[in-house]
Amino acid sequence: MQRRDFVKAMIAATATARAAAGQQTAPPVAQKLPPAAPKAPGPVPWSRGLLDVKPLPMTPLVPDAVAETNAHFFTDTQMAALRRLGEIFMPPAKGYPGATEAAAPEFLDFLIGASPEDRRQMYQSGLDRLEAESKQKFSISFAQASAAQADQLIRPWLRPWMNDHPPAEQYALFINTAHMDLRTATVNSQAWADAARAAGKQVPDVDLYWYPVDPDLRREAASRRSSVN
Amino acid sequence: MAEEKVDVLIIGSGHSGGMAAKILTGKGINCVMLNAGPIADVHKDTEVKPAYTLPYRGFKQPGQLPHVFQSNEFNANTWVDEKEVPYTYDPQKPYNWVRVRLFGGRSLFWSRQSFRLSDYEFKGKSHDGYGDDWPISLADLGPYYARVEAIFRVTGHADGLPQYPDGNFVVDDAPWTVAMQRFRDAGKKMSVPVCKARSSVGVNGLASSVNLLLPDAFETGKMKAIPNVVVRELSVDKNTGLVNEVHFVDRLSHREMSIKARVVVLAAGTLESTRLLLNSKIANSSGVLGHYLTDQIYGAGVTCSVPEARNGKSNSTLMGGGALIPRFRNIESKHPKFLRGYALNIFSSTGGMDPRNFAAYGAELEEKLDTYHGSGFHTGIMGEVLPRYENQVSIDKEAVDAWNIPALRIDTKYTDNEHDMARDAVDTSVAMAEAAGFEVLVKNYNVNPPGYSIHELGTCRMGDDPKTSVLNKWNQSHDIKNLLVVDASSFVSGGWQNPTMTILALSMRASEHLAEEMRKGNV
Repeated sequence: MQRRDFVKAMIAATATARAAAGQQTAPPVAQKLPPAAPKAPGPVPWSRGLLDVKPLPMTPLVPDAVAETNAHFFTDTQMAALRRLGEIFMPPAKGYPGATEAAAPEFLDFLIGASPEDRRQMYQSGLDRLEAESKQKFSISFAQASAAQADQLIRPWLRPWMNDHPPAEQYALFINTAHMDLRTATVNSQAWADAARAAGKQVPDVDLYWYPVDPDLRREAASRRSSVN
Repeated sequence: MAEEKVDVLIIGSGHSGGMAAKILTGKGINCVMLNAGPIADVHKDTEVKPAYTLPYRGFKQPGQLPHVFQSNEFNANTWVDEKEVPYTYDPQKPYNWVRVRLFGGRSLFWSRQSFRLSDYEFKGKSHDGYGDDWPISLADLGPYYARVEAIFRVTGHADGLPQYPDGNFVVDDAPWTVAMQRFRDAGKKMSVPVCKARSSVGVNGLASSVNLLLPDAFETGKMKAIPNVVVRELSVDKNTGLVNEVHFVDRLSHREMSIKARVVVLAAGTLESTRLLLNSKIANSSGVLGHYLTDQIYGAGVTCSVPEARNGKSNSTLMGGGALIPRFRNIESKHPKFLRGYALNIFSSTGGMDPRNFAAYGAELEEKLDTYHGSGFHTGIMGEVLPRYENQVSIDKEAVDAWNIPALRIDTKYTDNEHDMARDAVDTSVAMAEAAGFEVLVKNYNVNPPGYSIHELGTCRMGDDPKTSVLNKWNQSHDIKNLLVVDASSFVSGGWQNPTMTILALSMRASEHLAEEMRKGNV
């Protein structure tokens, strides 16, 4: 017998002897185990039958279908200017909703309100300037500006640009970003998708969505601990 | 009871780690692979959805992944969250560190552009006097490139250009579209070659470690893998000077564990491999570990419209397809403003235009989008960034990740050489497009921040001199012979080429050499 095998045999024999001795003298095994996990109150286990349940015959509703977003980030004046900007930039056309019908300004109120400070500032100061220039030039709020008046205020700041490289000037950045944001919020709305389906067209921006893959439950705590920069 | 010691421990499961596993297990060597993230199951983890059903209507969640320009609400959960794994930088010198920790790493998501480096890169110093030559040449790596190209099924066309070395291609003989041919003709008059692009077809649409490399490794029965473990440190035996143990943390439970190995192969991705070595305080007798970080400039380019394709006249004979302009500057002549060179990706589309390309809104914009539909023609730069000692990474002792592992500080920036190169790329694109009769709609001279290309290279470079390099020409540490680094941190320079084929070829070559050295008992 090799030495290694001999040692293994000795260890096994010792363990067996200890186990045999333990059976004679030790208290019942159940008393040595950790306490069992507490059972939920009630006459049956809570999860009984769930494995066999059939999926409900339902399609989950997106809240926008029946509810309105409560705007609360922008001031009333800023919100009115943003709504007018939505009407100008993205009016309804060819059976598709415009920004107003898609509640895009209200969605942006939520989105920008949740955004980092530099983006919030860019929107707020941009809307304030739009309002101020409208009053200065036409003596009316931008919300009351005609399409021709709005065009005079907006067009000088329109720029063609490429993805990831928006205009550098702050006000041009606002005008062009707000344009694309209002457009995206409109095209990616349920109202737009419904119109596309009604027209027999493909719903835009359908893609493969990734759920969190095996998320670390401590991620939130970690992100609070860690600091970037 | 744990096994006494594994033969080879591979850290990382992307292209470089997958290739090491395939080669080493194929030689009968037992391997254990550690990966920092989970195994993704596309059937379980994904669902096709319209944007309106998502919480943010397809916009990125505010504040999330600010440096991952490639992210969106659909794919946000595939990227490393920089709050969980932070890195630091001077706010004046931002860096986009784009990472994936899913099993298979970034090999799951890449552009498939498949190029060889040429001797204009391997022997750059010999050509123009800047930087350092690699310790190997194209002739050394050529046979490995050919085998990698066969595995990844690279499509391409032999062009016979020394700066664009031909390879072992699935031959692309498809005719050029009319628009591409006009652009080619314009380039010919300016001595700018417009060639077929080269791309990995892979199998069933995927060209990844998880379908082309790792299955072969597991098939041998010599391969084991542990997902969800974050490596903290490598330790060295003080008597032998060899790496003998790897310490890691269970990602979910945060349990600290260790594993002993005869050989360690680092394949965690350029900056993670270097971070691990820096945190371990090993393999740096040269003092250059962390230095010479480089990548490639992206973002500058032009968007054009081909007039003949407007008003509903676009079709697949006229439009569509891609091309590549390989480096043409500083080959035969010397450019007055910059060293080295750039390539241009060219593509045209029969689909819709980006509304951002027009200074218009409302009905006017809709009319433009209708009129211009199917007429888009685009160029985009892939430019070499000069390797510089001062572009470096180090450990930031003030910041740690979710597992209390010290974070990386990245200190790098582009210089006039890169910006002048981008300007030349855009001006050349405009001149060629106008000569071809296209309308230039937008031109952008600005490059994206460093890191954007997801081609971080260097920081653990190879070389013949142990005083000026971290690895030898076999990707083996000069200081620790049972430690290899097989990812792109070994690069001496990056060229303009997508580095994937070179990473794979280097890992294949290094792994075969390692197997032979192990067989001889030298490692």
